[in-house]
Amino acid sequence: MDELLNGAPCGYLCLNGAGEIREMNRTMLRALGFEREELIGRHIETILTAANRIFYHTYFYPMLQLNGQVNEIYLGLKTKDGQEIPMLMSAARAERDGETVIDGFLLPMKQRIDHERDMLVAAKKLEELNRAKDEAHEALVRLHAELEEKQEKLVAVNHALEAQAYTDGLTGAWNRRHFETSLAASFATYERAGVPFSLLLLDIDFFKKVNDTYGHPIGDEVLRRLAKLLREQSRDNDIVARYGGEEFVVILANADRDAAVQAAERYRLAAERTDMGDLRITISVGAATAGWGDTAPTLIARADQALYRSKTDGRNRVTFAQDNVG
Amino acid sequence: MTTGIRDRNNIKITGEGERTIVFAHGFGCDQTMWRYVAPQFERDYRVVMFDYVGSGRSDHSAYREDRYGSISGYAQDVLEIAEVLKLRDAIFVGHSVSGMIGAFASIEKPELFSRLIMIGSSPRYLNDLPDYFGGFDESDIRGLLGMMEMNFMGWANYLAPIVLNNPNRGDLSNELEQSFSSSEPKIARQFAEATFFLDFREQLGRVTVPSLILQCAEDSIAPKEVGDYLHAHLNNSTLGPMQAKGHYPHLSHPEETTRLIRAYLAS
Repeated sequence: MDELLNGAPCGYLCLNGAGEIREMNRTMLRALGFEREELIGRHIETILTAANRIFYHTYFYPMLQLNGQVNEIYLGLKTKDGQEIPMLMSAARAERDGETVIDGFLLPMKQRIDHERDMLVAAKKLEELNRAKDEAHEALVRLHAELEEKQEKLVAVNHALEAQAYTDGLTGAWNRRHFETSLAASFATYERAGVPFSLLLLDIDFFKKVNDTYGHPIGDEVLRRLAKLLREQSRDNDIVARYGGEEFVVILANADRDAAVQAAERYRLAAERTDMGDLRITISVGAATAGWGDTAPTLIARADQALYRSKTDGRNRVTFAQDNVG
Repeated sequence: MTTGIRDRNNIKITGEGERTIVFAHGFGCDQTMWRYVAPQFERDYRVVMFDYVGSGRSDHSAYREDRYGSISGYAQDVLEIAEVLKLRDAIFVGHSVSGMIGAFASIEKPELFSRLIMIGSSPRYLNDLPDYFGGFDESDIRGLLGMMEMNFMGWANYLAPIVLNNPNRGDLSNELEQSFSSSEPKIARQFAEATFFLDFREQLGRVTVPSLILQCAEDSIAPKEVGDYLHAHLNNSTLGPMQAKGHYPHLSHPEETTRLIRAYLAS
């Protein structure tokens, strides 16, 4: 072998097509602790550990066969006394003396190997940390979505509860409590801005007879249908509430006496003409408009007196409160 | 979805003939390993070659850890390819772990292949002493996995090589290296684990199709003891000892390999 190659500061080996060692320079032999005659002619497997043998056969050999070269692969070579030296090798196929040979140059890389191993460990740790961070983030996003969903549900439940508190279960109309609150609000608006409003009290005629004749389920159905009718005939701002057993009350927003009478008559006529199942009913109405000095009790009392008049005058009629100033 | 499988597994079909012969690469490589042997069959057979998902020029994005973490996932590739190509009574040639992958597929659907040809295959690489000699112990395999990690760039590069007519075309190979995501080393590692921790011994008895076991002289990956074991446990098997040494007779000794396969198919 050329002396330059033999003594060069890197390892050189040459394999034949079958993987047997054809040549090895002095530097390489010294690094491995072998004499020339101990290795020349032997298969390279002689100086490879089992793991390296697998690597040689599954990677190094086919790569060389198919691509003609391998670059910078790390291989561990066994010394005579069984130590493993990590080495970096580049090798290429060549034709020489009429046969195919593999020339390989090798450099020991003990320090670099340690360095690379450390980097690999650090990289893995980083990957793990990133993964954990991503998982935590995803969990947070999920929790946040859950929270929002729960909040929405809470608001919805709240609304439902509120509605329940102010609704009459049987008819779906507002209940008395809501009526009282609304009445107070109407008075406030009237006092503050002078917006007039009227009150109607509506009572089903001979309702007791309906219950006695047809039974309470039918009676309940009549109440439901009447409530529905009243709502249909009302404007959005009006409040239709169940005031008592067979009594309903309507707060007519922004309504003076004439409007109140018109509305009352509309309700009365509709009730007279509408089927309430297999029967018909009539209603009596008492109307009053809020006037200066009125309070909730006084207004209700006047409407109530008017209602009484409707009843005594023959029912199925509208009476406006007599002692109304507005 | 049929076009999907063809692209997914980079299926190449050449030759013409009534019978089909499928060449399946082994661990650490791709279909280009058949470059010297497969063309020898094109005159008489429809020749099919492919890359497993995660190897060669297959669609690496189709790789799923839970599927390809074991041999069954790779066998599924074979089954899906067989379905798309409507294979029946075809010939399966598998190198290394593909021998077992083909056996797996054949057990699942015996009508697919009429013959199984295994080159350098092993049902289990780990020793199970005193009765079974696989050739390696666990520290060897761990050592291999460690080496793969250290070499991963090169390994990933290898898993999708461009056939370089001129080995000095460095620029092409650089392009390919850059196109790899960091998931490639994972795929390689998992394939290695699936291969080297495989124990297919119990399944061998379920293969019903005749098989040829090509046993290389001095193959340290699939030593003679393993070839003998396969022969003893595969029904209807023929042992074909080779003069070729090493683990890649189809690369190092393509003529002998071709000759032995032909002779077997003719019988």
